[in-house]
Amino acid sequence: MKRKREYDFWLLFTVMVLLAMGVIMVFSASSYYAAYNWNNKFHFLIRQLLWSCVGLVCMFVISNIDYRRLAIISPVLMLISIVLLILVAIPGIGAKYNDARRWFNLGFTTFQPSELMKLSLIMFLSFSLAKNSGKLRFFFRGLVPYLLIVGFVDLLLLLEPHYSCAVLITLVAVVILFCAGARIFHFLAIGVPTIAAAACLVISSEYRLQRFLAFLDPFADPQGSGYQAVNSLYAIASGSIFGRGLGKSLQKYLYIPEPQNDFIFSIVAEELGFVGAFTVIVLFLLLIWRGVRISMNAPDMMGSLMAIGITSLVAIETIINIAVVTATLPVTGMPLPFISYGGTSMLFVLASMGILLNISRNSVNNFNPVRGSELLKRARQGEG
Amino acid sequence: MKSSKRKNIKSMHHKTASKAPVDLKSVRKKKRAEEIPNQPNTGMLKRREFFMLLVFTLSLFFMLYRVGFIQFVKGEEYQKKAYYTQTQKRQINPKRGTIYDRNGKGLAISASVDTVSVNPNALRSELNNDPGELQELAEGLAEILDMDAMDVMKVFNRNSRFEYVKRKIDRELGARVRNYVVQEKGIKNIYIDEDSKRYYPNGSLAAHILGFTGIDDQGLAGIELKLDATLKGMPGKIMNEVDVLGRPISFSKERYVEAVDGYDVFLTIDETIQYFTQKAIEQAALDYNLKRGAAAIVMNPNTGEVLAMASYPDFDPNHPDAKPYFVDNPEWLGFASVEDTELLWQTVFRNRAVNDTYEPGSTFKAITAAAALEEGVVTPETTVVCKPYSLAGHTINCWRAGGHGQEDFTHAVYNSCNPVFVQEALAVGIEKFYTYVRMFGFQKRTGLEISGEPTDEEYRNLWHKEPKEIDLAVTGFGQRFQISPIQLASAYCAIANGGNLMKPMLVKQISDSNGNIIQKFEPQVVRKVISEETSKTIRTILEGVVSEGTGKNAYVSGYRIAGKTGTSETLQTESEGRYVVSFAAFAPADKPEIVVLLVLDHPQVAMHLRSGGILAAPVAGKLCEDILEYLQVERQYSERDMKEMTEEVYVPSLVGLTVSEAIEKLKAYGLKYVVEGSQAEDAVVKDQTPKADFSIPQNSTVIIYTEGSPENNMVPMPDLTNKTVDEATATMKNLGLNIRIRGEGMALRQQYEPGTPLQKGEVVDVEFMLLIAD
Ligand SMILES: [Zn+2]
Repeated sequence: MKRKREYDFWLLFTVMVLLAMGVIMVFSASSYYAAYNWNNKFHFLIRQLLWSCVGLVCMFVISNIDYRRLAIISPVLMLISIVLLILVAIPGIGAKYNDARRWFNLGFTTFQPSELMKLSLIMFLSFSLAKNSGKLRFFFRGLVPYLLIVGFVDLLLLLEPHYSCAVLITLVAVVILFCAGARIFHFLAIGVPTIAAAACLVISSEYRLQRFLAFLDPFADPQGSGYQAVNSLYAIASGSIFGRGLGKSLQKYLYIPEPQNDFIFSIVAEELGFVGAFTVIVLFLLLIWRGVRISMNAPDMMGSLMAIGITSLVAIETIINIAVVTATLPVTGMPLPFISYGGTSMLFVLASMGILLNISRNSVNNFNPVRGSELLKRARQGEG
Repeated sequence: MKSSKRKNIKSMHHKTASKAPVDLKSVRKKKRAEEIPNQPNTGMLKRREFFMLLVFTLSLFFMLYRVGFIQFVKGEEYQKKAYYTQTQKRQINPKRGTIYDRNGKGLAISASVDTVSVNPNALRSELNNDPGELQELAEGLAEILDMDAMDVMKVFNRNSRFEYVKRKIDRELGARVRNYVVQEKGIKNIYIDEDSKRYYPNGSLAAHILGFTGIDDQGLAGIELKLDATLKGMPGKIMNEVDVLGRPISFSKERYVEAVDGYDVFLTIDETIQYFTQKAIEQAALDYNLKRGAAAIVMNPNTGEVLAMASYPDFDPNHPDAKPYFVDNPEWLGFASVEDTELLWQTVFRNRAVNDTYEPGSTFKAITAAAALEEGVVTPETTVVCKPYSLAGHTINCWRAGGHGQEDFTHAVYNSCNPVFVQEALAVGIEKFYTYVRMFGFQKRTGLEISGEPTDEEYRNLWHKEPKEIDLAVTGFGQRFQISPIQLASAYCAIANGGNLMKPMLVKQISDSNGNIIQKFEPQVVRKVISEETSKTIRTILEGVVSEGTGKNAYVSGYRIAGKTGTSETLQTESEGRYVVSFAAFAPADKPEIVVLLVLDHPQVAMHLRSGGILAAPVAGKLCEDILEYLQVERQYSERDMKEMTEEVYVPSLVGLTVSEAIEKLKAYGLKYVVEGSQAEDAVVKDQTPKADFSIPQNSTVIIYTEGSPENNMVPMPDLTNKTVDEATATMKNLGLNIRIRGEGMALRQQYEPGTPLQKGEVVDVEFMLLIAD
């Protein structure tokens, strides 16, 4: 049943367009910042180009490796990720930056083990659930062991600390478990107390509380806790319909700290306006649609779960990032996939796209949105 | 077309190729899933994956909505805020317009100066936040600017993008700062921008008209305040889009909105006439110890232009809050203190010619006379009787006890007879009289372009509300109501110019900095008040007042001055000497070119001297003379002038001549002589008094010495006070002294104090004055 098929064209197209936009926008957003800090306005452009190329190569290589073979080594990857996460939290090994120990300094670049963990966990969950999805209906026998694994990973991430990644990994894991058949009631039973606990956690820490309050009204302290949100809003608002024009952002003049990173979307909105923001969001919608389509057409459950996991990883990152820059969520360190500047993270995003492309090549390709509803109806009748 | 077709075929192929087997497979799997728990449920998997697609899609649509909301609903608000943080603005002050006098002489000028400002945030970043370097810069700058380095540091450390370091410094100093900051230190974020500073080259000249300005060049008083909008121009600005540290962004062009200079204002004021006027009241204030100051107005009666307007005490608008001369307070704070500021506004800043009101007294009789003559109730020749007049239980007396008896109306004006004016006012009648009052512009603002004139209502409140006969009677000779000096001066213009009430004007023209006329103000007739005929009649009568009547002390030989004295006792203050003496005049009487009003408030002199005729008239006469001379009005000497004029001669040098030669020479000069020592004809003259080339009146006596010396021939100066001209001349002659007579009447002042030892033959100036009670 191994038919060599084509890549999913639209997925590949979207990734390439987003990458191209990313390179352009990183250059536009970072040039002044780079000139200010490195005396070289091409500093980030060169690196972004380099990582994009390396990433693309990586993506094409991986797209040619059968995902099932990759899945088999996922327990090993998982173990490596856990070891690296523990190592990075040890002072002296992990590099500290902004009060968090998340990076290995490799000299020529930095490497975040959490990036590897995201992918490892998705693969491991898919690999494991493909065999054990039937048990998921049971709480203790099925769901809890997986939640414990996720919880353990979260714990390691909290040591760094890296809250946003913990939240992201948890959400992605929940999506995978949900799609694999876990009961909604079980999620509620765990989710509601967890959210309550999280609320307590926010209130208990002055720092987190401040961040949260700043999110509610960034203009209360525009020079302090609300600074990033306020300047992001200024940038977006300045864009209007068609934007100031490429390269003409004013907020990138150090008003937005590290404008090439997490807040790059606001620079896009400022320079390219609503039209630009709309384009980026539509590109992501396209990507997510193709991703979900691939997952629905995957030849087996493992491929399907891996595809939905990778897709939701990109989707959730995108949603949280845009929510943060539009002051819809509190400020947290979440890059915009493909577009934000990021060395190794770019590598991992493209690697995961490679996996997705490989799954699409193995796709049974029978999904059609119109026919899909009929299919669902029939499936429901079959269940009943 | 082609591609879509191919796509259709492809999808068709997919459907047919894979639909059936998958369906079967999924159904089979589902069935198995129920039996074997480890088998996946593919249907639910796809359903839930599709559900996630919906969740993500909706979330992203919500994000799109958020972007739209921020851009279109909140857009304007945020953009405005963003603009303020992204833009640095430096204001360029426009050059404030110059205020010129009528001949184009600058009275208020804006000089170019420099202002030093700083962008503290950018400066600190420019110096890499090195406190040592910052301190060094602050110290260097403080030394040049004569400031405290601590204060400069405070400015440098502010979290701000714009602060002043020092404003309005000399350009020379500004150049030194520029040299230090830019050349020496290479600092970019300290700016030395052009600014302008108001200064008044003539100090207190026309201070009350000009007013003064504040630190931001804003007008705070006078014309500076009234025409602030015209003078100030439009400020320009330098706008830069800057980065977070305040450094200009490279691609953003420095937007430079040029300042528009203010318009220049040409006043009707004549700098020279203003100077004469101010000097005159200043001297009067010193001579008479005026407790409540003085005011004077000079107008052109034909146009209503104010040629001069002065008020005393005055101030220097270059330093408006300097301590006035009459204040002793050693802790004077000026504008920094509310009390001091209040005091300034109550005293030196008060433009008494416009802001203050007073009882005009007899100067108002000109208006009564005009009404009576115009209404035909009297002619200049009409016989009237000056004797105490009883009305409603009051008796009105003339200033001369018992009155002047029978006289014609002309002489009643010369003598300023109150009972006569009561009769004439009553003859005109209440209604008509007050109509004339209003026609002459009283009870209403004149509308002079300067702030501080009372309102119409305030003016009306200073008059009787519903006048009865007794009110009319006292109004007829100018008492129990108040007017402002500018009102009376305007009314005199109407009397002098043939009967037209002119709107008094202070501003002649407004032009831009290139000299293009923006607005020109033309003389404006408010209304015709009296006929040309009546005007002419009054002009003649008032000329007589000066040449023969109570205004004699204003007489100037060669100039035909007409005028009227005024003395009133004010009820406003209880203090001693609560008199206001005044003189209203115009000249030349036949063809008036100037109207002069002089008001002296609370003179502190001997009781019998407190009258307009004694105090105000001579000052006004001298002022008229100065102005007419300046206006190059030719003197026309009357016969009487010629007779009264004593010619001066220069004493010839007699030393070395024989006595006979000397006597002959003196005779030729019209001088008398006394020989001291040997009277022999051939005796040689050794010395003389007065010395050669001295100017002395004709008929004076020159003492020639053949023996002895003038130093041994001294006499004490006698006291001539209250002596008549003849008495004083005789006294001086008896002592061997010469007299130079100034004026007529009683001796008021003499050049030397009584008892001063003088050489025989010396010439002493003696001032005479007619003692007039009005
Ligand atoms: Zn009389």
